[in-house]
Amino acid sequence: MQARTFAILIAVAIMISVIELIRREKMTFKYSCLWLVASAVVLFFAFSPHVLRQVSEVAGFVLPSNFVFFLLLTFFVFLSLFLTIYINEQNNRTDSLAQSIAMLEYKIHKKS
Amino acid sequence: MVSERVLIIVPAFNEGRVISRLVKELRTLYPKYDVLVINDGSVDATPREAQEAGATVVTLPYNLGIGGAVGTGLRIADEENYDVALQIDGDGQHDPAFLKDVLNPVLNGQLDLSIGSRFLSRESAFKSTFLRRIGIRFFSGLLGLMTGVRLSDPTSGFRAVSKTLIPYFARYYPVDFPEPEAIQMANRFGAKIGEVPVKMRKRLGGISSIRYFSVLYYMAKVTFAILIDVLKKKK
Repeated sequence: MQARTFAILIAVAIMISVIELIRREKMTFKYSCLWLVASAVVLFFAFSPHVLRQVSEVAGFVLPSNFVFFLLLTFFVFLSLFLTIYINEQNNRTDSLAQSIAMLEYKIHKKS
Repeated sequence: MVSERVLIIVPAFNEGRVISRLVKELRTLYPKYDVLVINDGSVDATPREAQEAGATVVTLPYNLGIGGAVGTGLRIADEENYDVALQIDGDGQHDPAFLKDVLNPVLNGQLDLSIGSRFLSRESAFKSTFLRRIGIRFFSGLLGLMTGVRLSDPTSGFRAVSKTLIPYFARYYPVDFPEPEAIQMANRFGAKIGEVPVKMRKRLGGISSIRYFSVLYYMAKVTFAILIDVLKKKK
C-alpha cells in the first residue's frame, strides 16, 4: 500500500468524524474549521502528487516526504498556539463567571 | 380567550443612547407584555437606562454575541413558561409599531416562527446595505431549497417563536449568525414558518453585529451549518 492511500484514508476519516461531531452538536463549525481545512489540504496533495513535488521543490525541500513532515509539524505548532490562546480565553471567562457568582451572592445577601 | 404571556427579548450591546427610547415605546404600546433586555456585556449605561425605562434587565458576565444573548432570553422564556417569545433588536432598527404584526400569526396558531421582513412592504424606510442584500438573497435561496419555504428576509432578527419551538431553541440556539440557521432548525422540528411585512429604521445607535469584512466567513459558516443541520436529529 502506498503512503498516499494511507494519507487519503486518514484525511477522509477525520473529515467524516468532524462532520459527525458537528451533526451531534459536540463541535461547532468555528472549531472544526482547522481540521476540515487541514484534511482538505491533505486530500488535495494526496490526489495531485505532481503538485506536491513542485511545491516542495519551490519551498526548498529535496524530498517531498520531508516537506510533508514539515507541514505536519507546522500544523501542530499552530494548533498548540491556537489551543493556548483558547485556554487563556476560557480561563478569563471562568474567572469572570466566578466573580459574577460572588456578586450574585452579595446581591442576595443584601436583599435578605 | 385566555390572555397569553409574551416575552419581548431585547438583546443589547452598548445601546445606551437608544435603549431607553425603545423600551419606553414597547412599554407604552404593549403594556401587557414583558420586556426583557439582555445586557450582552455592555460597558456603557445600557443596563441602567433599560431598567429605568421599565424593562427587566439581565446582564451577561461577558459578551456572547447575538446568538448567546437571544439564547439566554429563550431559556428564560422556556423556564418561565411563556406562550410566545418575541425578538426585537436593541438598536432601534426594528419598529415596535410592527411588533403586533409579527406576533399575531403566532398568537393565532398560524405560524410557529413568524419573521418580520423589510422587503415585503412596498415602501420601506431602510432596506439595508448592498452587501447585506447579496447575503440575504443567497440565504433566501439556500433556505428555500432546504426548507421549501421562500423567505425574503431570512436574516431578520425581528421574529416571534411559538411555545412549541421555545424548548428546542432554549436547548440549542446557534451562535455567531443565528438567524438563517435557526430557520433551518425550526424547519427540522416541523415548525410552520412565515413572514409578515414590517418597516425597519436605519440603525440608530451602536455597531452592526456583522463586521463588514467577515461577511464571507459568516456566509461560509452559516451555509455549512445549514447543510449539516439537515442531517441532524429530528427530535
